[in-house]
Amino acid sequence: MNRLLAILFKISLAAILAFITLPLLVVIAASVSPTPAVTFRPSDWTLGWYAALWDSRWLDPFLLSVKLAATVSVASGVLGALGAYSVAYAKCPGHTAIMSFLLSPMSVPQIVKGVAIVLFLSSAGLFNLLGTPGLVVAHIVLTLPFVVRMAATAMFNFDKRLDRAARILGAGPAQRIRYVLLPLIRSGLFSGMTFAFILSFNNIPISVFLVKPGQTTLPITVINHLEYSLDPVLAAVNVASLLFILGAILLFEKIGGFSAQFHGGSK
Amino acid sequence: MSTIDIELHSVSKKFGANRIVKNVNLSIPKGKFVSILGPSGCGKTTTLNMIAGFESPTSGEIRIRGRDQNGVPPEARKIGLVFQNYALFPHMTVAENVGFGLKMQGRSRQEIAAGTKRALKSVRLEGFENRYPKELSGGQQQRVAVARAIAPSPSVLLLDEPLSNLDLKLREAMRVELKEIQQDLGMTFVYVTHDQEEAMAMSDRIIVMQGGVVAQEGAPADIYGRPRTSFVADFIGKSNILPISDVGDAETGNGSLRVLLEAAGVPIMAAPMPGLGPDKARFCCIRPEAVRLADAAGALDEPANLLTGTIQKVVNLGAYLEAWLLVDGGITLKSMIRSTRLDKLVVGRRVELAIAHAAVQLLEE
Ligand SMILES: Nc1ncnc2c1ncn2[C@@H]1O[C@H](COP(=O)(O)OP(=O)(O)OP(=O)(O)O)[C@@H](O)[C@H]1O
Ligand SMILES: [Mg+2]
Repeated sequence: MNRLLAILFKISLAAILAFITLPLLVVIAASVSPTPAVTFRPSDWTLGWYAALWDSRWLDPFLLSVKLAATVSVASGVLGALGAYSVAYAKCPGHTAIMSFLLSPMSVPQIVKGVAIVLFLSSAGLFNLLGTPGLVVAHIVLTLPFVVRMAATAMFNFDKRLDRAARILGAGPAQRIRYVLLPLIRSGLFSGMTFAFILSFNNIPISVFLVKPGQTTLPITVINHLEYSLDPVLAAVNVASLLFILGAILLFEKIGGFSAQFHGGSK
Repeated sequence: MSTIDIELHSVSKKFGANRIVKNVNLSIPKGKFVSILGPSGCGKTTTLNMIAGFESPTSGEIRIRGRDQNGVPPEARKIGLVFQNYALFPHMTVAENVGFGLKMQGRSRQEIAAGTKRALKSVRLEGFENRYPKELSGGQQQRVAVARAIAPSPSVLLLDEPLSNLDLKLREAMRVELKEIQQDLGMTFVYVTHDQEEAMAMSDRIIVMQGGVVAQEGAPADIYGRPRTSFVADFIGKSNILPISDVGDAETGNGSLRVLLEAAGVPIMAAPMPGLGPDKARFCCIRPEAVRLADAAGALDEPANLLTGTIQKVVNLGAYLEAWLLVDGGITLKSMIRSTRLDKLVVGRRVELAIAHAAVQLLEE
């Protein structure tokens, strides 16, 4: 019986992995296709589509997306850490209600969020916020709940006796946050920020309402291009962003150390 | 009399409507090892937390080195604290943990390194500087916790049941070490425990707490030999506690008092209790080792009560025998008798017992 379960488990695991990786393989294959029609011949491939990416048509949206994602990730990180601190650590009055409120945007569909933000900006007469400033704000709204969630979990698990230990050793409030609290919630905070970065970098449903002509993010540029043609340059864009995201995750991991060798709490 | 490091003046603490610490007065002399001993929930940690500054007293005053601590936060009190669960910083190495207090004082790198080394040396934990707490055994973590607390050289170290997570062997070894560390450094130790043996073994003074009040305070031998209440007598060591009535005046030359063991209706002579009027005495306490066989080998060269009884039960504890004796009149006494007397202790046999007058202590309540 157990054996049967183990085999079933392995089969489903393999199926899931295949399901995730096979489309990727197809995209990678398509990105080196020699003809504009997406074909794949192992004997005959080219990196020409990647060369075509080195063009402001693709580079500008890429740079905008990177700047946007980086700004959003840092802003959500700071705001999320502060929010999580007062809600999950300091347990300010009404902290459970505030927590639900902070997390509530998660349950609103992204399209609705996008429409709501555009309607708000235009009815408030803030037309000049449409475009990049609006994108930043909208993406913070999108990503903040995830950062709050992860940072709050880390703060919730923080052993408060450590704060007392630091206190009696002479550490003031700022020193306790810097030397004890932050290092111990860092991995939770950084995984939230990584998540925010990826969510922002890949976002379509909200960005589509806010981009201005000439200032589009990479995913929106891809969508726009798709309206004219389905050619291997799109595959190349996708593979390139995938590699970029992987690089970004590795970088965050290096700074934040999500898989650090210690665990919170003292045993 | 040495100077006083910590004083509590009628300190009380309420949580909601519950008064947890009631009107406690203490003075803890500099350089001494003082234990706060009491059962679980009697307010020991609360008292310690008030001294450390994590809780503020509802009323009363706490002075450290002569200065009122009202409004002084823990980080400014310059005292050390060893937590029950150690509370080591998991993301710092042993050296970083131990050096933390010095770093917070803004000491130079060299001073921190030197202080860390000295503290680790005094807890005999050199060579572990670069390990993380989770890479240490419980006993080693305990030493790191002590080293971390003493590294900034506080004049007072508070310890909240620091040995309760260790196994018995290690606990006994650490008792000796902690006492040595305290003597070497000449630091004032305030040691909270619910283990009376621990308190007896290490302390210069013991403060026995019960339900938020100080039940008795004194040197270990005093507390053991002259308990004031049946609670203290029962909590510290083993004892026979017997209700008494009819406390008479001194009748003999040595000042012993005549009292009636209520249950048995047997009169015996008890030691006079300074500061305890005869009308206040409700019980008497007889330590098991004071109940002896009244034959040649057990003879006492001081005035003694002689009783007869029957041996009910004998348990061999190795060096000692624990025997339950049913005294004529109907009370049972527990006694501790050296194992060499095993042949005398046959269940059902009638024996003569001798209990020194001085070994019968009168108790208030
Ligand atoms: N923050 C608090 N709020 C309400 N009640 C509390 C609080 N802290 C302690 N108490 C209560 O005060 C009483 C004494 O607690 P305390 O921790 O001082 O006991 P203790 O003597 O240290 O016991 P133990 O040996 O079990 O550690 C307990 O009944 C506890 O429930
Ligand atoms: Mg306690």
